[in-house]
Amino acid sequence: MLDLAHISAFAELRSIGDGRGVIARERRGIAIATVMARKGQGAALAAAVKEQFDINLPRGPHGSGSDATSFLGTGPGRWLVTHDAGTPRFVVSLAQQLDGLASVVDQSDGVGLLRLTGPALLDVLAKGVAVDLSAAAFPAGSVAVTQIAHMGVTLWKVDEAPTFHIAVARSMAGSFLHWLEASAGMTGLAAE
Amino acid sequence: MRIPCPYCGSRDASEFSYSGDATLTRPAPENTEAMFHYVYLRDNPVGVHREYWYHAAGCHAWLKVTRNVSTHEVIDAVLAHDEAAS
Ligand SMILES: [Zn+2]
Repeated sequence: MLDLAHISAFAELRSIGDGRGVIARERRGIAIATVMARKGQGAALAAAVKEQFDINLPRGPHGSGSDATSFLGTGPGRWLVTHDAGTPRFVVSLAQQLDGLASVVDQSDGVGLLRLTGPALLDVLAKGVAVDLSAAAFPAGSVAVTQIAHMGVTLWKVDEAPTFHIAVARSMAGSFLHWLEASAGMTGLAAE
Repeated sequence: MRIPCPYCGSRDASEFSYSGDATLTRPAPENTEAMFHYVYLRDNPVGVHREYWYHAAGCHAWLKVTRNVSTHEVIDAVLAHDEAAS
């Protein structure tokens, strides 16, 4: 009988080079789902999210909520939801709570999440992201769905340190780490 | 060339795929003569033109972009979904 072990998407994250220009930590055990509003149900969905989570559903590319549960705007009528409070079967209950208002798809094992910070972070991200991430153009709470080295990413700014969270398809996690190591090696990548 | 996505903001054209002439209306399928013209006989306009672009690497929305195809100046971009609804 084969023993199966749960291996997280960024299990191979490791420190590279000297220094702590970029500090990276994998966010593990997070429930992740995409939520897509059903036709004509946008207002009812926003009301349900307000009632169930006390969260104002963002209409644009912004995040709303807390560390425990966040709704991130990723497109018109589309959100990425992350839940960090360990509620068992969170996505199943989310789908039930939003039944008839939105399509909910579990991404918990399909998407890897990294938390990135450090003094060189913006310079390193600039090597891959063709979006203005300066503090004035991209304040905390902003969300961008874009690509890094042809890999689709969803990134959002958590605070002005700056700290970013970044979501990458699990199938791309190895290639993404390769890009991160190559881009941050010069200033040092510290894995925590 | 950068396209001002109404949802995402200004993004490089490499995030989008071009999806055709936005000035045409798809004819009824039984009208084979009109369908032939719609599918195969394309104009090649100069100057300001309206085109569909799909934000494939971003918000996945379809945009209607007004663009000067001679200078690549992008004049306007709206969500095709919004325009269809109005
Ligand atoms: Zn967009």
